[in-house]
Amino acid sequence: MLTGGASGYAAIHSRVRVMYSTLLSPQKLADLANAPDLSGLVGLLKDTPYGPYLEGLEDKDLTSKQVMHQLQKRLADVYITLIHTAPAHTRSLLTELFRHFEIDNLKAILRAIVINSSWEQVREILFPLGSLAKLPAEKMLEAGTIEAAVAQLINTPYYDTLSHAVKRYTEERSLFPLEVALDLDYWRTLWINANRLPGQDRTQALRIVGPLVDMNNLMWAMRYRVYHHLSEEEIINYTLPFGYRVRDEDIRAIAAGADMARIVMRVYPGLMNVDNLLQDPERGLPKLELQLQRRLKQQLNAVFTGYPFHIGLPLAFVILNELELQDLTVLIEAKASGKSPAEFMHYLLMSTNVEEIAAS
Amino acid sequence: MFFPEAMTELELIIPEKDLLPVTKVLAGRGVFHQVDASYLSSDEASKSLGTWKEQAAAYSALERQILFTMQALAVDEGPPLSIDEETMVELGTVRPLVDQIERDVKNSNDQLIENQNKLEKLRSHILQLEPIAEVDLDISLLRNQQYIYSTLGTMPAVNLERLETSLARIPYVLMTLRKEREDAVVWLTGARFNADILDRAARSAYLNPLELSDTHEGTPAEIIKSLRQEIENTQKEIENQKSAIVQLHDTYEKQLQTLLWQVRASKLLADAMARFGKLNYTYLIVGWVPTSKLEALTQQLKQISGNIVIEATPSLQRGSMTHNVPVALENTGMFGAFQTLVTTYARPRYEEIDPTVLMTITFPLLFGAMFGDVGHGLLLVLLGWLLSSKRVEALKGMSALGSIVLACGAVAMIFGFLYGSLFGSESFFHDLFGFGALWIEPLHEINQILAVSIGAGVVILSLGFLLNIYNAWRAREWGRLLFDHHGVAGLLLYWSLLGIGASALLPAFPVPMLVFVILAVVAALMVMFSEVFKHLLEGHRPLVEDGIFTYLIQAGVELFETLISSLSNSVSYVRVGAFAVAHGGLSSVIFILAELMGGGEGIFSVIIYWLIVVVGNLFIVGFEGLIVGIQTMRLEYYEFFSKFFEGGGMSYEPLTPLATARSEKS
Repeated sequence: MLTGGASGYAAIHSRVRVMYSTLLSPQKLADLANAPDLSGLVGLLKDTPYGPYLEGLEDKDLTSKQVMHQLQKRLADVYITLIHTAPAHTRSLLTELFRHFEIDNLKAILRAIVINSSWEQVREILFPLGSLAKLPAEKMLEAGTIEAAVAQLINTPYYDTLSHAVKRYTEERSLFPLEVALDLDYWRTLWINANRLPGQDRTQALRIVGPLVDMNNLMWAMRYRVYHHLSEEEIINYTLPFGYRVRDEDIRAIAAGADMARIVMRVYPGLMNVDNLLQDPERGLPKLELQLQRRLKQQLNAVFTGYPFHIGLPLAFVILNELELQDLTVLIEAKASGKSPAEFMHYLLMSTNVEEIAAS
Repeated sequence: MFFPEAMTELELIIPEKDLLPVTKVLAGRGVFHQVDASYLSSDEASKSLGTWKEQAAAYSALERQILFTMQALAVDEGPPLSIDEETMVELGTVRPLVDQIERDVKNSNDQLIENQNKLEKLRSHILQLEPIAEVDLDISLLRNQQYIYSTLGTMPAVNLERLETSLARIPYVLMTLRKEREDAVVWLTGARFNADILDRAARSAYLNPLELSDTHEGTPAEIIKSLRQEIENTQKEIENQKSAIVQLHDTYEKQLQTLLWQVRASKLLADAMARFGKLNYTYLIVGWVPTSKLEALTQQLKQISGNIVIEATPSLQRGSMTHNVPVALENTGMFGAFQTLVTTYARPRYEEIDPTVLMTITFPLLFGAMFGDVGHGLLLVLLGWLLSSKRVEALKGMSALGSIVLACGAVAMIFGFLYGSLFGSESFFHDLFGFGALWIEPLHEINQILAVSIGAGVVILSLGFLLNIYNAWRAREWGRLLFDHHGVAGLLLYWSLLGIGASALLPAFPVPMLVFVILAVVAALMVMFSEVFKHLLEGHRPLVEDGIFTYLIQAGVELFETLISSLSNSVSYVRVGAFAVAHGGLSSVIFILAELMGGGEGIFSVIIYWLIVVVGNLFIVGFEGLIVGIQTMRLEYYEFFSKFFEGGGMSYEPLTPLATARSEKS
């Protein structure tokens, strides 16, 4: 069994370093953004580490869904490779982090049941979890109702969570309580897993997982207030009582109607333009979230300097991969719908201005 | 034995009326490897083939439906039908029948599930009420209080703290009555005018209130009593429903089993027919049949259809166009076991030599030479016998490996006699048999055993070259035969290099070195310009593609690689001798260790001595045996097979008849 420290992390560290060098460069992303159409974009992607995953795609019936599915396969492979290479005591955290794709799949299946989709339709939107897939997805869909589908989850970690929430679905016919319950349980478990690690691993894991938890919790609280108009007590119950820099008082203050900009600026000093963005929160929140994600990306890249033999590197790397996939999703959808670069560039997390990157 | 089974291409043209009986014969005999001929259909006819595809899909859906129903009734698949019963059933006839059975089963099952859920709910109610069983208060009074909001229920224990936080601004009482694993039974109460807040907080904390019907009145103890009565009644109902399901099982068991196999047979036939070519009023069927079974099949086809046109083309008449001939390998028994090792590497092409027999001879020989020991070999023989006898349930999956282990162990025993080794000890061997090594003692004659190993390697590699030449001759690939680096030119080069080495090392060697040098240069030029010569033979132009300069660089590198690989492949066989030596060495280490640790006097020392000897020998058999196995595999795959065996043949997959399933099941 592998241990921590330099000996435990030697293999995974070298692997992550090599893989880190394969992340798309700003120049490459700029080239992708300027591709004439989806087919051109896929052609360019074939010269990147995503290439082998796109080999089988035929130009004539290319859809954004197919392309995304193939790119997701690479992300799953990255995760699975690192989970298998990681020291034994850290695998549960990496696996737990990866589980949010399973939760997305679970939500997709529940939505599909509500709108009566066929398995063929559902299958192509599920994230390819590879060997880590545990959900009885097809059986759930065949079950026909949300209640029966939840019953299929009896031997999975989701059953207890959903069995409490499913009664609310029965009364309200809304998937919202189920989805919130799943999210809360996921972030609680992830937080517990990170806190269970010993010494340096714990510190570094919290350095990565903490900002993620903060960003999600803060955005949830603001969204519940701005978009869903939930009451104070509901916002509190639908958010997490812990965080890295976000304190429970911050969440409670947002729930109670306090000035959101002031709280955001306290948590993220130096974040630009927050006041302006939150003057019209309905439009400003998505932009704020993008800013937070860009900031997170910088923090993740910073992990790659300094002492490298800890869980922080693989954690940062997989999340960087996810963010890269998020950018690619923007590009793929934009190209599939014929948008010009001016219409979508501001949704990208990575700056495509090469000179600017070089200067920074 | 040395080649895949001879195949004959069969083309049938049959009138539409004979479609079903002919398909039944083709599927039933289990010898016909079908080739998709649907692309030959006329546009109009393609539509009717599409109907077969739809039918196959419909049968498939029906099969799933039947299996689902059988699963609900715990009915097994039962024995397959007899050949006579294998016919195509009408979807229109079978589907209503299946639907009817499914409805009956579903009704009973749904009622059962409903009652099981009810039972669970009632038990959960009791669990919620038990903590307040002593409270002498009518629960129904809490339902419609004018000034007090009150709710009793279960919630995730992890949400308790958050619920309290969310209610921090108002007065409330939250009592945890019971906390089990992840659930908590709680009672939340507060002022009625805060009911909205309390309700929202409770709901968003996933507090599920106890849902007692209005019929449940009185104190908690009284309600618990009535709930227990209700549980008893529900359990009785469940028992009755289970009996009803058992009755349904008995009623429908045979019918479902028959339906299942009929639908499976129909699906198989529809699948096959969807891949026929359809002309206006006739069907075209194309496929392959082992030549030995052709006569019987055609006779049967002629009996059922007078108007059938049969055209049989033996594969030999196709010249070198054999790439799409399916390959049926006929190795049984011990050969069958080694066939799995061959097909793991690749399936032979139709015109290629099937190397299974050679593998069956050379694999145990190489293994035995590396692992030569009477005792260790005997242990492997016993292990092999145990695996192939399928006596141990947990090892049944490895039965195919048993014959290989057994053969390797037997040859290792033979080499054990030749090396004079018993459980790694020469003295044991001598004491037991009264004589020493019959041939060589690897540990004491290291140079000799290494030289013999290289010699054996040269023989095996030369055999590989000759087999490649033979394969090329069979495939009529004259260019490959003469100029390939594993063809005549390659063999000449290899032998010339050996000759140069022999004349340099052995002064008394009868042939002068110059002869070999000239031959080597000629052969090297043949290999280097093999592509040009091949193009000349085949009439292919231009003779050199991508320019002469590029070609010369490429050819030079390839020649260099050929020379290096000739040398390295031969030297690679040194490992056979090296492992024989290592085997002896490792065994001696065991005895030295045993002597060191248990060499003293007294029973304890004797126990230690023998413990180390036994464990050490088991370690050698397990660990070294595995390594030697891997090394043997490497010599076979990379040194030997790479000389002559390309593989890539198409697997022979006859229409799987239900008869096959029948024999497999029985």
